Amino acid sequence: MSAENGTTPAATPAATPSELKAEMLRGAQSVATAPAPNKNRGITSDLSIDEALLLHAAGWEPVDLVCGVSIASVPYGVWTWGQGEISTASTAHNAAVQGASNRILEECRKVHGHGVVGVRIEVEVRNHHIDVELVGTAVRPVGDASPPALPFVSDLSARDFTLLKGAGWMPAGLAFGASFVYAPRRSAGAAMQQKTQNIELTNFTQAMYAARESAMERMQQSAINVGGHGVVGVKVTEGPMSFARHAVGFTAWGTTVKLVADVHKNITPQVILPLDDAVVTFAAQNLRGS
Amino acid sequence: MADPAEDLPEAAVRRFSSGAFSSGLTVPDFAACLQLGLQPVGLVQGFCVMQWGWYGSGSSYMRGANPYSMGGQTAGAYSESYRCPHGYVSAEHRMWGQNLEQPWVEQAWSSGYHSAYARMLEEATALGAHGVIGVVDRVTQVSDSQTSEFHFLGTAVTVDDGPPPAGGTPWTTYLAGQRLTKSIEAGFMPIAVVASMASVRVWAYCITEYLMEGGRGWGNPNQVQEVEQVTKAHMAVRQLARKHVRQQLVGDALHGVEIDVVKRELAQGDEVIDCTIRGNRVRRFKDFDNVPAPRPTVRLS
Repeated sequence: MSAENGTTPAATPAATPSELKAEMLRGAQSVATAPAPNKNRGITSDLSIDEALLLHAAGWEPVDLVCGVSIASVPYGVWTWGQGEISTASTAHNAAVQGASNRILEECRKVHGHGVVGVRIEVEVRNHHIDVELVGTAVRPVGDASPPALPFVSDLSARDFTLLKGAGWMPAGLAFGASFVYAPRRSAGAAMQQKTQNIELTNFTQAMYAARESAMERMQQSAINVGGHGVVGVKVTEGPMSFARHAVGFTAWGTTVKLVADVHKNITPQVILPLDDAVVTFAAQNLRGS
Repeated sequence: MADPAEDLPEAAVRRFSSGAFSSGLTVPDFAACLQLGLQPVGLVQGFCVMQWGWYGSGSSYMRGANPYSMGGQTAGAYSESYRCPHGYVSAEHRMWGQNLEQPWVEQAWSSGYHSAYARMLEEATALGAHGVIGVVDRVTQVSDSQTSEFHFLGTAVTVDDGPPPAGGTPWTTYLAGQRLTKSIEAGFMPIAVVASMASVRVWAYCITEYLMEGGRGWGNPNQVQEVEQVTKAHMAVRQLARKHVRQQLVGDALHGVEIDVVKRELAQGDEVIDCTIRGNRVRRFKDFDNVPAPRPTVRLS
């Protein structure tokens, strides 16, 4: 079966020590003479050697390290007391994510990558600006330098990508949703009355629920917008803003996936029972006897 | 590079000639190293302590009288200028802005990094090593001063029955143990650990300043917008670092890249962004063999 059609490459037995030594010797001999001038554009990748090999086994290869950054401004006064959603902050978050996604996709297209895997996402919400940084490795099917129609961005590792692809699914893009909501101020009377009580602060609970529902809805909508069937590996951050404790934020993101095979392909994992013992620590007092 | 035998510290020469080897490898990495036909010959290191120059007020790198022709800027370095759309407002109003690559900072970093690297290679060469594996590098600030220490450490090895590398310069890699074995098995021979640094200074102009401090008015309507100058600076510093590291590849591949960005904010919108990239430069010495087909497993423990 070939790697191109998404099936499993033929297994080769692991190398024996003598074969390994021969390979090492061959490698050493290859660098014993100065190389011929090479004007090729070498690949760069932040994948580990394990991930790179796994990707190759699935018929894909890394092309280049790609980045996307965007910084969106948040106007003054947005975080001051109010009611309901802080829509300006939510819009700024969305704008920063979109800007960074567009730039990483642009870099991916430039190097003829068909998608970006293992994207590291860093989001920093500040008082007056929201910073988003995306870094990942552009990948493509081995030897396929044709420009892709719709490259994808995914925060799944190369291992997850390979597993997903083997099951007949493909990433379609990053799904993002964020919402920032004011926790309504309690009346002075309510605050005084509750001061000596162990009591739920329903204003904060409700604000958190409101932020969560809006953020999750936006994330799902962004997945639908790119033709996805679902979102996997969803991560969330939530809590009050460090610079505005009366405002709570909820952010959710993950990778949009869509079924590209006719049906989902079941993966039958092999059950293994490791025979290596757990680490046993030696305790000298055991020698004393009871 | 000076003759290693003459340039090494006397204690290092004694240590290397003692007959026993030292190594920074873990026991599993040591076992994998032997299995691969590599013999450790010594723990090798390189240091370099660099003091960062003064680029403060009065230096040619500060905002000058003519912002559009900065003194000291290297030809070909990245720079973008931003002009205030408002005209004269006040002495404090930032009428111009600039994103400026700082080649003198990059060169200082490169000098420190490559001096430490060269010193590690000198030790390895003195041992007759063919390569250095399990390289660990770090850059640390010495106390609270403008001084940084570059430190390299690795295990020098020889290849059983192997020829010396071209030019006698040992190859180097961050990898060791099973990761190095897998790389070799897949047909990638380590060439060198490579790293580069890029530094961009952002001089914010009025619009950037207002946007970064949440200001309204002065061209900042009461709405969200992307801060173009700072965003472009962030993209530029990452692109420059990748460009610099690519210049060291000469057509080879770079595996296991790590990218690190440090941002120092100096005022609203004014910042220095440093980006460091490093990884393993490798060269393919045989056609790629697919690894054994991965089999999904479930552990019972």
